[in-house]
Amino acid sequence: MSSLLEVRGLAKRFGSVRALDGVDLDVAEGSLTGLIGPNGAGKSTAFACIAGAEKPSAGSVRFRGREIAGTAYHRVAALGIGRTYQLVQTFADMTVLEAVTTGALLRRARLRDAIAHAQEILAFVGLAEKRYRLGRALTVADKKRLEVARALATEPTLLLLDEVMAGLTPAECGAAVELLRRILARGVTVLMVEHVMEVLMPIAEHVVVIAAGKTIFSGTAAGAVRDAGVIEAYLGSPLEHGEIAGHAP
Amino acid sequence: MTARPHLYALGAIVVLGLLAAFGVRDAVVLDLVFTLLLYAVLGQSWNWISGYAGNISFGHAIFFGCGAYASALCVTHGLTPWLAIPAGALAAAALALVTGFPTLGLRGHYFSIATIAVAALVETFARTTPWLGKANGFELPIASGWAALQFPQKGPYVVLALALFAAVQLATIALERSRLGYYLRALRANHAAAASVGIDERRCKLIAFAWSATMASAAGVLYAQYTLFIDPPSTLALAISIDIALIGVVGGIGTLWGPAAGALVYVVLAKAVALRFGGAGKGYDLVIYGAIICLIAALRPYGIVGTIVDAIRRRRGSIAVGPGAAAETPA
Repeated sequence: MSSLLEVRGLAKRFGSVRALDGVDLDVAEGSLTGLIGPNGAGKSTAFACIAGAEKPSAGSVRFRGREIAGTAYHRVAALGIGRTYQLVQTFADMTVLEAVTTGALLRRARLRDAIAHAQEILAFVGLAEKRYRLGRALTVADKKRLEVARALATEPTLLLLDEVMAGLTPAECGAAVELLRRILARGVTVLMVEHVMEVLMPIAEHVVVIAAGKTIFSGTAAGAVRDAGVIEAYLGSPLEHGEIAGHAP
Repeated sequence: MTARPHLYALGAIVVLGLLAAFGVRDAVVLDLVFTLLLYAVLGQSWNWISGYAGNISFGHAIFFGCGAYASALCVTHGLTPWLAIPAGALAAAALALVTGFPTLGLRGHYFSIATIAVAALVETFARTTPWLGKANGFELPIASGWAALQFPQKGPYVVLALALFAAVQLATIALERSRLGYYLRALRANHAAAASVGIDERRCKLIAFAWSATMASAAGVLYAQYTLFIDPPSTLALAISIDIALIGVVGGIGTLWGPAAGALVYVVLAKAVALRFGGAGKGYDLVIYGAIICLIAALRPYGIVGTIVDAIRRRRGSIAVGPGAAAETPA
């Protein structure tokens, strides 16, 4: 399998803060790749840099073999990268159908065709009955579903999902996983950020672990939970405790 | 959503307006209808950039002024005032692009501040430039007929204002059902999410702003041909920009009929106070108007038409009725 997305040495500084300091990751075409890491590791910043919402300070982002680092946000969407947000960003005063139609307009010249495509996507994600609701009147789970629908309507090659499971009940999580499987079956490649590793374990073929802005592991999910470096990043190392206590070499 | 009810409503207004234009002889009533239509056009023009796109303009009078001055310049140079319609529109659109290009992609209030600054510059420029009549402005030479766009009675002016109003409303109905309309509403609701589905904010807003300026300019041409006298205070002043913005806010930002409703409240209130109190009542209308704006800001931030739309949606069940549901305002 070829790499759809290749990120090398991605760095992002906010003033003197190094949010990202060397992130490498590969996403194989047609796969579901998980991006995990402890709180504050830089997962969402990495996402923002890939999607074009933030300009990386250094490093390369190649999508379908083409360098896209620093490309304007709206152009990245046109190239075929869709995304959702960790904190849902709905179009509050648009109906569900209008919001998804807005996404569908990216690849459709006529409004009528965009509406028809949006209806199709809404049926696919299971929001068809709620299509005349306003975005702001939905539950959290439905808002997340709406974000996925809006991104899918742009017909992305690569879908970036930022903690779509966070804040969902176990039953809602189950439904979300089922939706994810169907999205993959459509041929969309998925890169998803998750804070909780258990969610990713059964569905991700490949996981990338970042900590303190760096990639520290890349491999299978099963391998990640056995990796000493990953365990250390999540739980903290004895050496670090030693440093804090003043016994560093 | 179908456009049919809106088209019927517009048709009814056009019929009523034509009846007034041809049936009513009372100049005061015709003046009222003309002013109402003109303000409704200006309010809708403002609504494109400030309502649908969500960037508040406090300098809209200058686009109105572009049309009025284009008209005065054409007539005083022996050209047909019809030429002022495209000329004023080009000048207004160019001003809009120059004002909007550096500011419409920015967050915060830069755009609003820029509109105030550019409006002040334009007003000062007109006040001090000989070929723009300086502070004296222009008196348009009297003529008559469709070629000169001047009429001894007010009826034809009402017909022209009605045509302009209908054109602007039709354009707005089309906007609501177009890619640009969807994109502007998405940008107003959430610019980051809008970019994530491929929307180019600056491009969309510049297009909306240019059209907005064009509409205001057309109203300016008509105004100059109607009053036959223009000067900076009557066409370019900040007070006019504020009036235009208030009409948009009172009626309901980002709604098709909001500007017309706002203009109705504004014009009727001004006339009612003038009739009731005469010259002694100068300023009373502004006091009442101010009170209405305070009430709308406190209770109904969506304005008159926004409140009605909300009520309809509530009945259809597209909004969850509960605390906070209506309190959320668009960012």
